[in-house]
Amino acid sequence: MSTIVATLATDRARRPRAALTALLAVAVAVGAPFYFAPFQVFQLTMVLVYAVALAGLNLLVGFGGQISLGHGAFFAAGAYTAAVMLDRYDTGHLATLPVAAAGCFLLGLGFGVPALRLRGLYLALVTLSFAVFLPPLLKRLEPVTGGSMGLTVDKLQPPAWSGLAEDQWMYFVALTVAAVALLLARNLLRSRAGRALLAVRDNESAAEVMGVRLSLHKTLAFAWSALFAGVSGCVYTWVIGYVSPDSFSFVLSITLLAGLVVGGLASLYGPLLGAAFVMYVPSWAQDISDAAPGVVFGLLIIVVMFVAPTGLAGLVGRLRSLAARRPTRTTPAPDRTPESAPDTDATSASESSAPPTPADPAPADAEPVGAPPRTEKE
Amino acid sequence: MSEPTTASAEAEASTEPDFLTASDLHAGYGQARVLQGLDFSVARGEVCAILGPNGAGKTTTLRALCGMVRGRGSVTLDGTQLLGRSPEQAARLGVAHVPEGRGTFNELTVEENLRIGAHLRTAHWRRGRAERAAVAADLERIYGYFPKLRQRSRQAAGSLSGGEQQMLAIGRALMLRPSLLLLDEPSLGLAPLVTRELFEIVRAVNEEERTTVIVVEQNAQLALDIAHRAHVLEAGRLVLSGPADRIREDGQVAEVYLGVSVRTGTGG
Repeated sequence: MSTIVATLATDRARRPRAALTALLAVAVAVGAPFYFAPFQVFQLTMVLVYAVALAGLNLLVGFGGQISLGHGAFFAAGAYTAAVMLDRYDTGHLATLPVAAAGCFLLGLGFGVPALRLRGLYLALVTLSFAVFLPPLLKRLEPVTGGSMGLTVDKLQPPAWSGLAEDQWMYFVALTVAAVALLLARNLLRSRAGRALLAVRDNESAAEVMGVRLSLHKTLAFAWSALFAGVSGCVYTWVIGYVSPDSFSFVLSITLLAGLVVGGLASLYGPLLGAAFVMYVPSWAQDISDAAPGVVFGLLIIVVMFVAPTGLAGLVGRLRSLAARRPTRTTPAPDRTPESAPDTDATSASESSAPPTPADPAPADAEPVGAPPRTEKE
Repeated sequence: MSEPTTASAEAEASTEPDFLTASDLHAGYGQARVLQGLDFSVARGEVCAILGPNGAGKTTTLRALCGMVRGRGSVTLDGTQLLGRSPEQAARLGVAHVPEGRGTFNELTVEENLRIGAHLRTAHWRRGRAERAAVAADLERIYGYFPKLRQRSRQAAGSLSGGEQQMLAIGRALMLRPSLLLLDEPSLGLAPLVTRELFEIVRAVNEEERTTVIVVEQNAQLALDIAHRAHVLEAGRLVLSGPADRIREDGQVAEVYLGVSVRTGTGG
C-alpha cells in the first residue's frame, strides 16, 4: 500500500517536471538547425531518419519479441519507391510518402508470413535473406531502378515562404516525420493491438487461450514495422537525393538491429539514442583510428552492452532513478511513462528568421562494420 | 450482470442436461498417447474436479478442451464441437483456460493483463462506449473478488507474489466472461493458506456467476471441498467418477487411486 501512495505522489510531483523537460526538448529540437553548421544539421537529420526505422524495428523486435535481420530491405524498398516515383513519374516529394508507406506495409504483411512458423535464429536467417537478395535484384531491374548506377533525384527544396536553407528545411521535415512516427508507435502500443502484441511476446500460449489471434498480430507487427522502415527510407531519398543498390547492402540491416539494441529495446526513445549511435559513432571511430574504424565501432558496442545491458535508454533510466533515490520503486512495465516521448509536438516548422547558410553537405553515410547483434530479447 | 443465486446451484446442476460432454477422448503429444479414451460430462454451473496422480493426464485433458493439444473423439460444449479448434476459437466459444504455472504477462501491468482478458470483447472497430463501460464494470467486478489486484493494478505482473499472480490469471480469464473456466493446478507452489483463499474465491465466482468450472488438482482435499462432482484419472483412463461428497467419503478408493489420504488432507 505504501508503495502505491509513494508512486502516486511522485507521479504528481513529476508531471510538471516532465512537461518542462518535454518543452526543453522541443525548444532544443527546433533551435538546433539555427545553431549548428549545415553539415551538423545534415547529421541530425539523418539521426531522425534512422530513428524512424529503428522505431519500427523496435515494434517488431523490442515489443513483438520477433527478430528481423532484413529491415534494410524495407528501408531500401521505401527509398527506391520514392526515387523511382520522382525519377520516372515526376510526382511531388510528398506524394511518395504515402505510396512508400502503404507499399512497405503490404510487403511487410507478405514477408511476415515466415514469422508465423519460424522463430529466433531461424526467423533471423530467413529475414537476412531478404536483405541479401535485394541489392542484386535492384541491379537486375535496370530499366526501373537504374541498375548499379542508381538513381539521382532532386532533393527536397525549401518552399520560398519558409526562408529556410535546404538543410534546415530537410531537418524540420525529418523532425516532423520522426515526431509523428514516435507518437504513432506509442499510441499503437497503447491500443488493443499493441497490448495483444506485448502479450504474445510475454507468453504466446497464454495470449492464445485469451483469444489473441497469433497469426494476425505477428504479421501485423511485421507490417507496421516495415511501414516505418519504408517511411524512413523514403525520407532518406528526399534528404540524400541518390539511391544505389550498394547503399542498402545487408550491412545496413545489421546496423539497424545493432543500433536498436544499443539504443534500448522496448524503449520508446531508445530508437533516437540508437540512431545517434549509428550516425555518430562510426565517424568518431574514424577519428580515433584511421586504420580500423570498424574495430573501434565494434569495441564501443561491446563497451555499451557491458555498461548498459538494457541499452542506452536503460542506462538513462537507471541514472535517473539513482538520482531520484527511490528505493521503493516498483518495477514498471516497459516504458509507459508519459514523459518518454520527448519531441512530441515539435511540428512547428514555420520559423521565418533563418540565417542564410550555404547548404550542400556531403552525404557521409558511414557504414559501420556490424558487430554480432544480440539475437533475441528474452 | 450476475444474479446471485447461491444455494440452488448444486440442486439445479443435477437436473439440467450436461453442459460439456466428452466421449472417447484421446489426446497426446507426438508419439506419446496420454488420454486413452475418456468419457465424462460436466453439468452447467457446477464445479468439477479432475483428480489423479502425476502423469494421469489431468493437464492434457484441460489442454484438449481448450485446443492447446489436438484431441480425437468428441467433446461438445452446449452442443458445439470443441475438438479441432484453435485455442483462440475455443476462447471465442467461451472457454477460458488458466494454464498451469499461471502464464501471466509479466512485463505488462496488472490492469493490462486483465484487459487482455477482454481482448475478444473489444474486437474490431465497434468499441462503443457501452462496451468500454462493460469492460470497466468487469474490472471492478474482478477487483471486487481480488482486492489485492486493485492495490497492485499499475504494477508489473512479474513483481507480484505467486498467489497474486494466480489471482491475476484467474481474474484475467474471468474478463473473458467465460461459460467454462478451466483451472490447471491453481495450488501449484502456493502456501496452503493462500490456496485456501483462492479456492474460496473460485467457489464464490461459481456461485455468483454460475460459471461452470473444471479444476485440475493434486490437492484432492481442497478440490473436493469446492467441487460438486469429481473424476479420478489414472494413466489416461477414468477410474472413478461421482459426486464430490461420495468420493471424499470413499477414503479408501481415493487413497488407492490418488495416493493420498483424503481424510487427513495431506495431499499435494
